[in-house]
Amino acid sequence: MRLRTLSVFGVGVVLAASACNPGTATPAPAQSSAASTPAGSAAGGGKTIKIGTELPMSGGEVANGVPTQNGVILAIQQANAANELPGWTLDLNGQDDAVNGAHDAAQGGKNMTTLVNDPMVVGEVGPFNSGVAQVEIPIANAAGLLMCSPANTNTSLTYPPDALQYRTTNPDKISYVRLAAPDSIQGPAGADYVYNDLGAHSVYILDDTETFGVGVGDSFQAEFVKDGGTVVKRDSAPKSTTDYTSLFQAVASQHPAAVYLAGTTPTGMGLALKQGRTVTGFETIPFMGPDGVADLGGPTTQGSTINIAGQAAANVFGTVAGIHDIPDAAKFTADYKAAFNADPGAYSAIAYACAQVIIQGIKTAVAAGTTDYAGIREAVRASTTAAGNSFDTVIGKVSFDVNGDTTSPYMSFYKTDMTLNNNAGGWVWDKQQAFTDPNANGNASPAPGGSAPAASSGS
Amino acid sequence: MTGMATHLRRGSSLRPILITVAALAVSYAYLGTPQFMNAMTLGAIYALIALGYTMVYGIIELINFAHGDIFMVGAFVSLWVLTVPLGLIDRPINDPAQLTLTLVIVTIPVMLFMGVIGVVIERFAYRPLRHAPRLAPLITAIGVSFILQNIIQVLFGPSPHPTPQVFPRVDVLSIPDINIFDFSIAGGIVRALNLMIILVAILLMVGLQVFVNRTRLGRAMRSTSQDREAAALMGVDINQTIAVTFFIAAALAGAGGVVYGIYFGSVQFNLGFYVGLFAFTAAVLGGIGNTVGAAVGGFVIAFITVIAAQMGYSRWSEVAVFSVLILVLVFKPSGLFGQPLGERA
Repeated sequence: MRLRTLSVFGVGVVLAASACNPGTATPAPAQSSAASTPAGSAAGGGKTIKIGTELPMSGGEVANGVPTQNGVILAIQQANAANELPGWTLDLNGQDDAVNGAHDAAQGGKNMTTLVNDPMVVGEVGPFNSGVAQVEIPIANAAGLLMCSPANTNTSLTYPPDALQYRTTNPDKISYVRLAAPDSIQGPAGADYVYNDLGAHSVYILDDTETFGVGVGDSFQAEFVKDGGTVVKRDSAPKSTTDYTSLFQAVASQHPAAVYLAGTTPTGMGLALKQGRTVTGFETIPFMGPDGVADLGGPTTQGSTINIAGQAAANVFGTVAGIHDIPDAAKFTADYKAAFNADPGAYSAIAYACAQVIIQGIKTAVAAGTTDYAGIREAVRASTTAAGNSFDTVIGKVSFDVNGDTTSPYMSFYKTDMTLNNNAGGWVWDKQQAFTDPNANGNASPAPGGSAPAASSGS
Repeated sequence: MTGMATHLRRGSSLRPILITVAALAVSYAYLGTPQFMNAMTLGAIYALIALGYTMVYGIIELINFAHGDIFMVGAFVSLWVLTVPLGLIDRPINDPAQLTLTLVIVTIPVMLFMGVIGVVIERFAYRPLRHAPRLAPLITAIGVSFILQNIIQVLFGPSPHPTPQVFPRVDVLSIPDINIFDFSIAGGIVRALNLMIILVAILLMVGLQVFVNRTRLGRAMRSTSQDREAAALMGVDINQTIAVTFFIAAALAGAGGVVYGIYFGSVQFNLGFYVGLFAFTAAVLGGIGNTVGAAVGGFVIAFITVIAAQMGYSRWSEVAVFSVLILVLVFKPSGLFGQPLGERA
């Protein structure tokens, strides 16, 4: 929180000093040298350059936002320590989009406006939630600021023609990329897992009415039916819902073999799990959820799935839309633990990779002789999204396709183990699966089934 | 306002009772045992909170917007009692005597504590404004609502907090299919927890009726609500009577908070808004100022939302609730059990 206040204050100072244009147009390079002077002298070790983060950081979102931002902080610390950018000091402008303890799209929009108006921010990691991204992408697109989301999965964010409505200012310039696999992979992967791995052939689907929840619920439902399964009922309940018991009771007579919670725990899925377990027929059956449920938070992480659901979290499964088994996991985990005295979250390494992509963009721009912030911001955006460019990161070599999606999507599967943490429960990794780029053939409706899974390093 | 005296005209008509019984029978036939018990439980919780809105309105004609937050504070105080002094974790207590003792240890102090909070709020936020224009205490009530929310947010943080599930339920991981407390009616399992909440709520509501109708303080409340000046002339201590009303209203909300946490399993600082809104709607639906009406309104709203869920239209439950409210107010502006407005003149 202190970090955020300071950086917001910093924006004010810089804006006042430089009278810089809050840009809807392409940033004007001429003004940037004026902007850099006061902050550059303040930073000490060279000119300051910033990576923004826009994540839900407080309340019930702690399990989501904090470990993700920590990934970015770790990348910045290590890049500074290794002097990756001689003459420059990397810094963070961290923003929090949680309002009343849950992510809020309107707050995200305000935060993104703050970030694009900080001339020193040349790239941004986030947001976490797809509904927030819908508001933020147009703002970043207008300002030409690269957003790299480690966690957004809603398909419409990148897939044409839907994605075009988010970049009306600069339709030809991709300014939003993501390393998370889209829900056209996450939903079906969850469906196949429930049908094949868990052997449950009938399912009750409950979504949280949000962009992400409805989208992943739809793609789960379509694949589950295609697998031959039965969807006994599909319900929607907004995050203001207090009584989930009656929803589960209403479907109890149809005896579903599993439940899919299409949404996030801060928008009610943790509570749905807890109350659902009290209804006859749902006490022991598997519950499955997307990454909004598989937050990998422990029992003491406020607002995490296991924290909310308690003993009801037994026999719960979840997908995370990214790689788990990263090339040098031991080093990353050790570094992360040393820095934050906690285990990495589901998206820590992926957020670290996003920051690495931005840092490499800065490096290339600086090497090419670009020294003004606006020029670097545009160079980072252009080089990240340019065809054929790839980046070495902690999660391996990554690159982005024409829509801004990762060309190497992964899906990781987790389950709860209630014997962990003194029988209070925890998440354990089950397996991961690689998919081919859904857009490799320009097709907007990928089919990851059949021969598509390229490699599986499952446990 | 004559609301609190309404129920004095008992036996005036058999029709409401017949309608209620018929509605319950039809709902039971449609919902089945467990879902019916859900609706009854939800209704009991709404009713406990709605009573506070209606009592305060009945006696000083104030829509106490802070009441939902008093309920929320009650839920947090009970969470604190369960987890800190009692040190309970998310494990069922299988010994009936110990369970009863735990529930009593939590409920009584929380009700007393919340009652005192209610009296303090009345003393410092509402009493100085008793003769001010209507709008002033209304705004103060909104202010109190924010103060309570923010205090809890500072003390507990903005995230939802799990309430320990002390009531026995089927163990997720293992063992018996049905625990010793639950039983089966007509093929549907009745959870003892639901039954307990409904019984506690009904006991409290009956106790309130007896208190209002049969005791000196109750008579003072009724007379104050009818004509404050005349009551004062007859020797009723107005300040004490209003304080007692706030005490009871807040204590009932506290009881609502206790059962809410135990039943729904999670509490958050902004909980009072939604639940309070529904309870307030229940009070208006029943005829604000009327205690029986508030209780009935709570059950009506609960049944509407649960029936909507059963039909698969849970997204429409709020639309349904407020549509019914509008319809009732269009055809009977004073609510189901309210007095015709003419009598107030």
